[in-house]
Amino acid sequence: MKRALVIALLAAVAMPLLLAAARMPRFGSVEQPAYTHVARRYLERGAEEAGAENIVTGVILNYRGFDTNGEVTVIFTACAAVAAVLACSGEGRRPVRAGTPVALSPVVRYVVRLLAPFIALFAFYVVVFGEVSPGGGFQGGTVFGALIIVTTVVVGRDEAERLSPERPRLWLQAAGPLSFLAVGTVGALLTGWYLGFPHVPRAIAASMLMALEFGIGVGGAMVLAGIFWRLGDEA
Amino acid sequence: MSLFEAIRNAAAVVLVCTGSFFFLVGTLGLIRFPDFYSRTHGATKCDTVGAGSILLGLALLRGLHADVLKILAIISLVLLTSPTAGHALARAAYRTGLRPWTRLVGGGGGDAD
Repeated sequence: MKRALVIALLAAVAMPLLLAAARMPRFGSVEQPAYTHVARRYLERGAEEAGAENIVTGVILNYRGFDTNGEVTVIFTACAAVAAVLACSGEGRRPVRAGTPVALSPVVRYVVRLLAPFIALFAFYVVVFGEVSPGGGFQGGTVFGALIIVTTVVVGRDEAERLSPERPRLWLQAAGPLSFLAVGTVGALLTGWYLGFPHVPRAIAASMLMALEFGIGVGGAMVLAGIFWRLGDEA
Repeated sequence: MSLFEAIRNAAAVVLVCTGSFFFLVGTLGLIRFPDFYSRTHGATKCDTVGAGSILLGLALLRGLHADVLKILAIISLVLLTSPTAGHALARAAYRTGLRPWTRLVGGGGGDAD
């Protein structure tokens, strides 16, 4: 009796779903609503509406700002989870202070010192010019995070952690979600909606996007470095 | 097409073909060489000789243009970083005790084929 009821219920739920699936446009067809409405609007009006000439940036930060807000939160949560798992897995777990087991090569030290300013400049460039060219906060942040990691390899964990003290580091790791919260509040004050993007004046929208890019970049870089440092801890 | 242009194009083609050849050989070495050290050796040849001569050929094709400076900057970056990465990898492996493959030792299980 119970089983028959379950089957009947499943059939009742499945029938409208299957019917709806059968009426959907074919996979990849140009008749899909995504192609006929959203994409056309993005391509035709994106440059003037979104506050960024690069349409990808406009879509990520402006049209789909809520989605990116969630993504940034996920990245920060991943960092927090790694820290939590490693902190819980041993009671008296302390970072190893002895340095790497293999002495650092002078060649590596020299080349990293030579290239570090250029890498930093490139990361900054990728973040700032994400508005008009390929790039943006995620990409620039990844480059900067790689720079922090490679610098940690050269100067050693001690020095690297001394240069970025615990308290501001935690805030910087949360820079992505925090910048979204701040910009979202600004948008709410201007338009009445969180982020409020399509209705924010173009001049203000551009600087809001830039603030988001920098928040995502700094947050992403510090999250990468944080995960690298935590993984360097040994029981 | 003037004689100068013909020579320039020919030189560029030779450089790009040389680069492609080194990419092919380096990738082959990465797959087929018996141990870590020789594979690292093969892989770094792709970036230095392969990418280096392809980029040099492209710079030759571009002629007198600001892009050539960018290409030269990329070449110097590649020539600096790729050998450094290979050096760091090989050094770390050697210092932590990975023994290089030799035919006498017969290690690595790679001498069967």
